[in-house]
Amino acid sequence: MAQNVAEQGLSRDELIALRNKRTGMTVFQISWIMVFVCLIVVNWQLRSNSPTWPPAGVEPLPWALPTIVTILLVVSGWLVHNALQAINANQLGRFFGQWRAALVLGAAFVAVIAFEWITIPTTGQYSTVFRVMTAYHAVHAVAIGLYMWYVDGRVRAERVTARDTWAVEAGMKLWYFVIAAWIMFYLVLYVL
Amino acid sequence: MAAVTAPTLPGVAGEEPTRLHVSDYLRWSVDHKIIGVQYMATALFFFIFGGALAMLIRWELLTPAIDLMADGQAYNSLFSIHGTVMIFLWIIPMIAGLGNYLVPLMLGAKDMAFPWLNAFAFWLIPPAGMLMILGYFVGQTEAGWTSYPPLSTLFSGDGQTLWALSLHLLGISSILGSINFIVTIRNMRPAGMGYFQMPLFVWAVLATSIIVVMATPFLAGALTLLILDRVAGTAFFNPAQGGDVLLWQNVFWFYSHPAVYIMVLPAFGVISELLAVHSRKPVFGYRAIALSSMAIALVGFTVWAHHMFTSLTPELRIPFMITSMIIAVPTGIKVFSWLGTIWGGKIHFTSAMLFALSFLSMFVIGGISGVMLGSVPWDIHVHDTYFVVSHLHFVLFGGSVLAIYGGIYHWFPKITGRMLDERLGKIHFWITYPAFFLTFFPMHLAGMLGMPRRVAQYAPEFQTLNVIISIAAFVLGISTFILLYNIVWSLYHGEKASANPWRALTLEWATSSPPPSTNFIGDPVPFPNPYGYGTEAAYNYVESQNKKYGTVNPADYLPAEKSTAVTSE
Amino acid sequence: MSSSHPPSPRSTPNMTPSLALIIVGVVVMIAGGLGFTLFIPMILPPQASTQAQQVDQLFTFLLFFGGVIFILVEGVILVSVIRFRAQPGDLADGPPVSGNTTLELVWTAIPAVLVTVLAILSYTVWINTRAIPANEMSVGATAARFAWTFNYEVGQETLPTTLNFGDLKPEIQADLTDEDGVVHFNNPKLYTWVGQPVVMEMQSQDVNHAFWIPAMRVKQDVLPGRTTEIRFTPTMAGNYRIVCAELCGSGHGAMAGEVGRDGELLGAWLIVFENEEDYLANFFDPAAATVLVPPDDPALLGRQILASGAYPCATCHTLDDLGWTGNIGPNMNGIGDRAAARAQTTGDADGAAYLEHSLRHPGDYLVPGFGNLMPQFNPDPGQPNYMPQSDLDAIVAYLLTQTANPSN
Repeated sequence: MAQNVAEQGLSRDELIALRNKRTGMTVFQISWIMVFVCLIVVNWQLRSNSPTWPPAGVEPLPWALPTIVTILLVVSGWLVHNALQAINANQLGRFFGQWRAALVLGAAFVAVIAFEWITIPTTGQYSTVFRVMTAYHAVHAVAIGLYMWYVDGRVRAERVTARDTWAVEAGMKLWYFVIAAWIMFYLVLYVL
Repeated sequence: MAAVTAPTLPGVAGEEPTRLHVSDYLRWSVDHKIIGVQYMATALFFFIFGGALAMLIRWELLTPAIDLMADGQAYNSLFSIHGTVMIFLWIIPMIAGLGNYLVPLMLGAKDMAFPWLNAFAFWLIPPAGMLMILGYFVGQTEAGWTSYPPLSTLFSGDGQTLWALSLHLLGISSILGSINFIVTIRNMRPAGMGYFQMPLFVWAVLATSIIVVMATPFLAGALTLLILDRVAGTAFFNPAQGGDVLLWQNVFWFYSHPAVYIMVLPAFGVISELLAVHSRKPVFGYRAIALSSMAIALVGFTVWAHHMFTSLTPELRIPFMITSMIIAVPTGIKVFSWLGTIWGGKIHFTSAMLFALSFLSMFVIGGISGVMLGSVPWDIHVHDTYFVVSHLHFVLFGGSVLAIYGGIYHWFPKITGRMLDERLGKIHFWITYPAFFLTFFPMHLAGMLGMPRRVAQYAPEFQTLNVIISIAAFVLGISTFILLYNIVWSLYHGEKASANPWRALTLEWATSSPPPSTNFIGDPVPFPNPYGYGTEAAYNYVESQNKKYGTVNPADYLPAEKSTAVTSE
Repeated sequence: MSSSHPPSPRSTPNMTPSLALIIVGVVVMIAGGLGFTLFIPMILPPQASTQAQQVDQLFTFLLFFGGVIFILVEGVILVSVIRFRAQPGDLADGPPVSGNTTLELVWTAIPAVLVTVLAILSYTVWINTRAIPANEMSVGATAARFAWTFNYEVGQETLPTTLNFGDLKPEIQADLTDEDGVVHFNNPKLYTWVGQPVVMEMQSQDVNHAFWIPAMRVKQDVLPGRTTEIRFTPTMAGNYRIVCAELCGSGHGAMAGEVGRDGELLGAWLIVFENEEDYLANFFDPAAATVLVPPDDPALLGRQILASGAYPCATCHTLDDLGWTGNIGPNMNGIGDRAAARAQTTGDADGAAYLEHSLRHPGDYLVPGFGNLMPQFNPDPGQPNYMPQSDLDAIVAYLLTQTANPSN
């Protein structure tokens, strides 16, 4: 994130705190993405034990709907990015529009994945590993979505202002995390 | 020390001494110094608990038959919880505590980057520890600290599930703590302290934290799957349903081998500090030591499958042998650099230094047996035997614990404002050192001769060795209480410590003992080279610190003319 | 001490070691390293296979180099603490020497070269110990909590000389002439003879185990869901313990060969005979004969099945008639009486039904004081711990004869 105009008005301690938060967020993202990498490793090892994947007699996952919501999810990333720029520029109307649109897309994504989760067969490693991966991801998507909802409220209550938009920036970065993790999962589950 | 006039602490006008009551340590606090002490006290409690279990293990092994324990399962729970507690509730939190206390001080900072998160990470540990102990008493935690499925998924008893939940919490605590360390070290160094002017302990904490944040998530992943297999009916580790028992081993060791470095790298850091200070000589090859920590952290991610030399597909064993052998090189660099540090110095035999030297002499045995274990054909013979038990205790007790002991003697004055009793310290050392060797060295022989690990009953020909080991272990167990007694006694009756009793150059000594709640009065200026001993500049720096805060010299640092030992402002 | 210059050291120790010290040091290192290797015969089990010879040779190198490094490090520490100890009252610092690039390169290069050499040696030994000999004998091994069962096969070519194919029962003849042409039989011990290479094909019925013969220096995990292999060629006759080296539960420690009170070998042992004739005469022929000519009396057949170690009962149960001494599970002496009595409380028709239920569903009838540790023996060949109904009937018939006052 480039420094915005408002940040230049921050005190030294506030600047250090902001810098710490940004570094902390980056380290956290690098760390926590490893859980998702771990699940991918699990997927690969189970795969390597089966002569074909999906195993013989198991229907491959339907891919059309998930692909559409994956694209929507990427769009939501662009929206949160715009929302942060909007609030930094003190354009609250634009912020709410973009931020809430992203939330709606996120909700749609979770709903579609939940639908897939319910409709696939309940037994067999192919389904189980899919369920664990998507459920694990969905927990993060929902938790971070709720946080973004909370940030929305904070902005409405004018607790987050253009002077300190860290709450929004954090929401955006966490949402990026959700998107990045999902793209990895999407590639592993549907493409590779 | 009748001649010693106690300085007014912290010695700077206008600042009231920070006197903390015990109850301050039982409450939520965001002060890194309080959190550090909370970590260390909690860890010591679990050390006693884990040690008591070890005594029971050794009691059981006095005879070849099962007699003390009701059955094999009870014995299995014993060593499973012993291993888990010692690793996750003693060494890791103890080191986190030392790091918490020292890193901000060494960096001249007021606190960690995220004080609230710091406290939160600590407060995950007591409930996690309670879950672990509960798991022990609920029972059926019988799969070892490695908890290989299908044994760990065979029974529905809650003990194993509680074990996994407890580790989950500890893992999260560890990750949060390490994020905090990395951010603090990266962002909060004072002006004039680049990465290569940092104390080596800080380097070690940095390397450790990088391992924690990269590897611990794998533990979280593995535990999630284990819990799902146990309670939600999935079958990730059940081969009958397309699962794979080696899946656990791969994912678990991807965390747990680096976890060894999580435990031992900070010990390396402690040793680098202690050897330089107490032999009054700069660290030999500072950059080599700093960078070898990073090399170990990096290569440490590629060696996990050497724990699987008897289960891994044979074709894959050789690559892991090569990486495991490579990691001996940076470790060797450290050992030789430490030897270079003490060589030609002026060695003061303080208790801290004795433990640092004992670390050096014992850790090398763990290193040598480590290279032996890296060699596939030899490992195959001694895999899962007492040889491995011996190796890991030489690394974790001879390495981490001896370094922690040294660290306690070294930093206790800073933390409490009082010196530990040196005479008791030396008694502690001279009992611990031989008892340690006699406990763990004969285990090599038992393993080579054919005694597997994790057994409550063994072939009668191993009894002599086991009796020797057990007796030494009991002595080792008792010696721990000398340290504990020393800590408690010195807390109230110990000699008052000055700001810099060891005449060290790192920043944690450039403030009163104990430091005020803001750590420093004004912005501290680091000495350009944290180990620049032997120069006039260093001498003057220490003298100016002493002038500011007053001195009380420990016995070993008294000038010859003892009657004029002390000057105060 | 308010002076602004450091107190001058009483003596400045010379940092450069003298030539004499270096020479003495090198001699001590090499002599010590060699000295350590002299202990090898004392600290290793008997060297009884070609693999063991190779591994021990490798260990000699490892111990020698390890010993050299050990003496070097301890020696430097020892010399330092003697020579460089601070004199009382000496507050001066040591010399401000903070490194020496040449020295650092040397002590990076030497360990690097050393581990390379050791890696190459290890690799060579690894390849040699895994070489597949031409005439190897394949033996199956099944690990179950808490016993090993070794699976042998007898075919028409290997028929014991005392038996005539024509004299065998028709169903046995059919087994010997069907597609795989062999009859399988089990034994709790592993037999071979000097010079005969063995390859083990190992499977687990339940959890992870590890097959280890210390005297052969071979070990391999036995994992559920896959078959693992291990090879060794014995070079010395004798009896060697087979040990389970991977934690498998409460009876893990019991899953090794044991010497009974009267010196008999219980549990898992490797018996290496001097030659093939001894092997055939003392093990293979009589063992094969018992399965090729099964007794008609079901109780005798049941006794024979249990005695063969086909099922892992002996580690956990005590039964005097078969020499079992385990104490992880209930005592089986007098089970014939107790089964009849228990059947009345459990609602089983009779003692036989009670025993059958106990084998098929051991968790249902736990004897007070014992945990649910026994494997469930399944009637379906696809499941683990398969026990055919015919075996079960024979075992039950035998167990019913084990009354407090055995009639035989």
